[in-house]
Amino acid sequence: MKRSMIKLIPFFIMASFLVTGCNHDTSSTVKAAKPAIEAKTQKSKGPVYKGKVVGKSNKAKSISIVVGKGKKAKTIMVKFDKNTKGVEHAAKGHASIIFYDMRDGQPWATVIKPKLAKLPKGVSEIKTADLKTLIDAKTDFVLIDARPGKRYAASHMPGAISIGTKAYKKKAASALPKDKDKLLIMYCGGPT
Amino acid sequence: MSTKIAGLAKKDGYKNVKVYLDGQPAWVKAGNMVYASKGNIAKGNIVLIDLRSIKKSEAGRIARSISIPYETLDDRLDDIPTKAPIVLYSDSIEEADEAAEDLRDEGYKKIALVAGNYAGWVKTGGKTVTGPVVTDVSWVRKLAKGEVGKEDFMKAVSGADTGAVILDVRTTDEASEGGFKNAIAVPLDQVGSRLADIPKDKKIYAHCTTGARADMAAQELNKNGYKAFFFVANISCTGNDCTVED
Repeated sequence: MKRSMIKLIPFFIMASFLVTGCNHDTSSTVKAAKPAIEAKTQKSKGPVYKGKVVGKSNKAKSISIVVGKGKKAKTIMVKFDKNTKGVEHAAKGHASIIFYDMRDGQPWATVIKPKLAKLPKGVSEIKTADLKTLIDAKTDFVLIDARPGKRYAASHMPGAISIGTKAYKKKAASALPKDKDKLLIMYCGGPT
Repeated sequence: MSTKIAGLAKKDGYKNVKVYLDGQPAWVKAGNMVYASKGNIAKGNIVLIDLRSIKKSEAGRIARSISIPYETLDDRLDDIPTKAPIVLYSDSIEEADEAAEDLRDEGYKKIALVAGNYAGWVKTGGKTVTGPVVTDVSWVRKLAKGEVGKEDFMKAVSGADTGAVILDVRTTDEASEGGFKNAIAVPLDQVGSRLADIPKDKKIYAHCTTGARADMAAQELNKNGYKAFFFVANISCTGNDCTVED
C-alpha cells in the first residue's frame, strides 16, 4: 500500500501541472496533490467553489459557476451582496474561486478571487510589452495559441499557430520546431 | 490551456518555454491586432469588409467581401451589427489598423484582420472574385447553444405555440412595471426554490432585459430536468406592451 502511494506521487505532481491553466477549473486531482493547503484554506474562509463562471447578473446579484469535471460537473448559483469581496473577479468565461456560507439553504459568496494559473517548473511568464517587442522585431520564435480551434479561427495573435490541449499529442511533432532550444510562447484566453 | 501545453512542451525537452498568461484579451486591450484564419475568412459567419477603393475591389477582392472604402466607414456604422465578428482588409497595413481601432472605439468587440491584407490573401492562394461590388451587409447571428430565436419566442408570446411558456426572470421591481402577457414571473435568484411554479411538461423560454439572467435561469432549469431555453434581446415593457430589440 505504502509503495503504491509513493509510486503515485509523481503522478499527482504531473497531474497538478496538467490540470492548471488559464480558464481551467480545478479537479479533485489538484486537491489530492495538496490536501494540507486545501484544508487550511477551508478552515479559515469557509467552504469554497472553484470553477468557471458561466453567468453573472448584477441585477439579480447572482453568479453561476460550474464546479467539478466531466459527468460530475454541475452549475451552482451563488448569491452575492454589497459585503461580498472581489465581485469584479467573477466574470463570465473566467475561472474563479468563490468562498461562501449558507444562508436559508442558499450559498452566499463572501470572498471571490480569480483562479490564477500556475506555471509549470522551468517555465516563465512573458508580459504584453515584451511579447510585442519580440513580434515587432520579427524574432524567430513559435507563438502557440492553446485555445480551442474555433476561437483561433475567429481571431488569433500575429503569426500564431493553433495547438489546443487535446491536439498536442497529434500536432506537436509536426508543428513544433526540431530545435529544442528555440523559444516557444504559449497563450490562451487570459487568467481571470 | 497555455500552461498545460507549456508543461507538455517542457516535458518533450523544449528548454525555452514561456507563457503569455495575460493572453489574447490583454493583447487586444493594449490596442494590438488579431487575425482571422483562412478558413474563417472563406466560410465563417463574419462580416468581411474590403476597405480599399471600389475600383480596386471591382478588379479583384476576397470572395464574400462587402465594399466599404475606409473614408466611408463612419457613414456605414449603422449598417454593421456591433455583435458581428468583423474581418477587415485593405492594401495598407496602417489603414487596416486604423479602421480596426476606429471600430473598437465604436464598441465593436470582435475585430480581426486578414494576415498580409489583400496581397497576403492572394499570395496564399485564397479565392478572389471580380465585378460589381456588394455593399449590403447581410449578417444574421447564429443562435448559441440553448438559445431560442425571436420567431419561436414571439410565437409563445402570442399564444400561437401552446407547447411553450414564457418565463420572466427579472426582479420583482422590474416585472411590476410590465411584462409579456401570460408570462410566469420568477426572479432569477428564486428559480431554484420555486420550481413548483414552473411547468415541467412544456418548453420554457426564459427572458430578462438582455439575456444574461435568462441564460443562467435556463441552465438552472435544465439541471432540474426541464427543457429550457433563453432569449437574447433588449426587452423593455410597460404594461403588456413590450419592445423587443435584437
